[in-house]
Amino acid sequence: MRPLRKIIDFMTLGSGHPIRRLLGYYAFLALVLTIVVRLFPATGNLLIGGGLDASPATSTSEVVLRDGLVDSSPTVSSLANRAFGVGSLGHLAGTTTLILIGTILLMLPVSWVYMSARHVAGHSQAVVQTLIILPLVVAGVVVIVRDSLALAFSLAGVVAAVRFRTNLRDTRDVVFIFLSIAVGFAAGVQTLAIGAVLTFVFNFLLLLTWRYDYGRNVLTPTAASQWAGPLNSLVTRTDWQAVPDRDLVLSLTPEKADALADRFQRVSGVLGTKKKKPRFDAVLSITTDKITEAQELAESVLTDNARRWKLDEVEQNVGKPSEIYYLLRLKKNVSRDDLLTAIRQDAGDRIHTADLESREAIQGEVSASA
Amino acid sequence: MRKPTVILMVLAATLSLGGCSRLDADGAQKSELKAREKRLTEKLSVARQGGAAVPLAKWILPAALREVSGLALLDDGRLLAHNDEQSRVYVIDPLRGVALKMFIVGQPAIRADFEGITVGPGVIYMVDSNGNIYRFEEGEDREHVRYTLHDPKLGRECEFEGIAYEPDSARVLMPCKNVGMKEMKGNLVIYRWRPEAPEEAPTMMAIPLATLVGPSGLKELHPSDMAIDPRTGNYVIIASPEKVIVEITPAGELVQVIRLPGGPRQPEGIAITNDSILIVSDEARKSAASITLYRWPIRAAVGGTQ
Repeated sequence: MRPLRKIIDFMTLGSGHPIRRLLGYYAFLALVLTIVVRLFPATGNLLIGGGLDASPATSTSEVVLRDGLVDSSPTVSSLANRAFGVGSLGHLAGTTTLILIGTILLMLPVSWVYMSARHVAGHSQAVVQTLIILPLVVAGVVVIVRDSLALAFSLAGVVAAVRFRTNLRDTRDVVFIFLSIAVGFAAGVQTLAIGAVLTFVFNFLLLLTWRYDYGRNVLTPTAASQWAGPLNSLVTRTDWQAVPDRDLVLSLTPEKADALADRFQRVSGVLGTKKKKPRFDAVLSITTDKITEAQELAESVLTDNARRWKLDEVEQNVGKPSEIYYLLRLKKNVSRDDLLTAIRQDAGDRIHTADLESREAIQGEVSASA
Repeated sequence: MRKPTVILMVLAATLSLGGCSRLDADGAQKSELKAREKRLTEKLSVARQGGAAVPLAKWILPAALREVSGLALLDDGRLLAHNDEQSRVYVIDPLRGVALKMFIVGQPAIRADFEGITVGPGVIYMVDSNGNIYRFEEGEDREHVRYTLHDPKLGRECEFEGIAYEPDSARVLMPCKNVGMKEMKGNLVIYRWRPEAPEEAPTMMAIPLATLVGPSGLKELHPSDMAIDPRTGNYVIIASPEKVIVEITPAGELVQVIRLPGGPRQPEGIAITNDSILIVSDEARKSAASITLYRWPIRAAVGGTQ
């Protein structure tokens, strides 16, 4: 596969874009096919259902018919004719081999698309292998059965005896399986051109529907819109540093990224910029079910114990306690423990938890993560 | 050596081998065609000196002519052949065994149960099993040619399997393979139709089978195709189920009944050249379809007045 990959890299100028790579593969396939048909015109008939013994499909020149009487004399040409002529073992083996190679070449990009363009996480390796093998089997069966009603009925009987009951995880897998059967049929009746057009259209259609998320419910936000807010916050609202680890951020859910963005903003408020001394040096975080009462209590305590303070954010939650954040600078004679004790001693059931993160602690955390 | 280099070398070797083999094939083809002409000339001279009824040549037809049905000869000696279901007409050089070209009747191609083909002055006629006559001219290679259709409304009366153009009367002849009319059972029925006067109803010629097949010991006759002997003007009818050739005069008198030599499986078409070569087509059964050339008249008569 490595040489094929290199050729596709060369034809697509190293582009990783799936549509360009697919176009590169089909262009390479068309080039090889053109050369082969040019040199061996009879192979062109496998594309349009003529068979190797039929007159060349791509050439309009005269076709010499095989001499039916010369075969009876044991000459070299007649022996070759018997070995590779119409109906001979060599002819049959050659035709079948070319059909199978053509089928594999057509199904390779289908398997790539199957592995790449998916809406659910992961894919089944068994299905990938089936996509390559199933059309070969179907093509072989069609080659055997072709033109024989008796064999067709026999095959129906045999298949009826073998029960396939495999549940596919994604309903779209069924479409791929149907496609592989169709390509197998096309190859079996020696009309690989139909198989080629079928896979070409299928692959590009699937890639485009995947790329543009075609068929999405209009009420469901797109992945792009889900990410836009949090990522924009991370980029624009952080004065101290942009996103520390982009891959890490992208691995988060939008909700977690949103929370991370808030935390960045809060931390940057505390840390300040490099040039300017920060107005606040600590973050007070409170969790509560009674926001108004907790706010009244916290603000009265802060008025007594902080040089300056500012309500940063009230985050109302459903099913879990809400959160209140304050930015503050403590008075010089007030310690962290003094403030927390003052809040907790009168809190009762108004406040679940209270915590104070100082500038030094946050700076230490940031430098440790960097 | 690195793998890609090896693969490229193998690819280059394959392509050059293909190129060389093609050049060799061109040269070998020309010498083969010359050898064929020489062989045919030799066999024909032996046959004219009274040799046995052996095939002069036999050409294996491509898969597209697997169900070769009708044969006809153009004025220049080229042979027309078509298959059973598609309106594709192949032009063949019968003396050298070369398929020269193929053209298609209708755009798109007509799908019908085509049974016979014949050539009139500058025009070609093809007939299907219902008696519909398709009239068209010769086309270039892979060209779709226009046609006109004439329905003589004989589908119920007769199942047709052949057609022949009689130059002397300027009429198209169509023998019945199976006669639908009860009163005509036991007769060889041939319809005659004048293309120059298409509005005229076809006339019918009925010959009692007893006078034709009786002397040969045959009980029935199911004509598959028909040709006109260019030298005598006699009607030469081939019957696939019986595997015989029946020659009659235009007046309906039996000339001879010949059992086909060579054991053909399903002989469906017949044509006779101006220099007395009989061409018989044989549909594919267990082996490929073919056309076989004999000297005409074949000296293997099983009955008749010859």
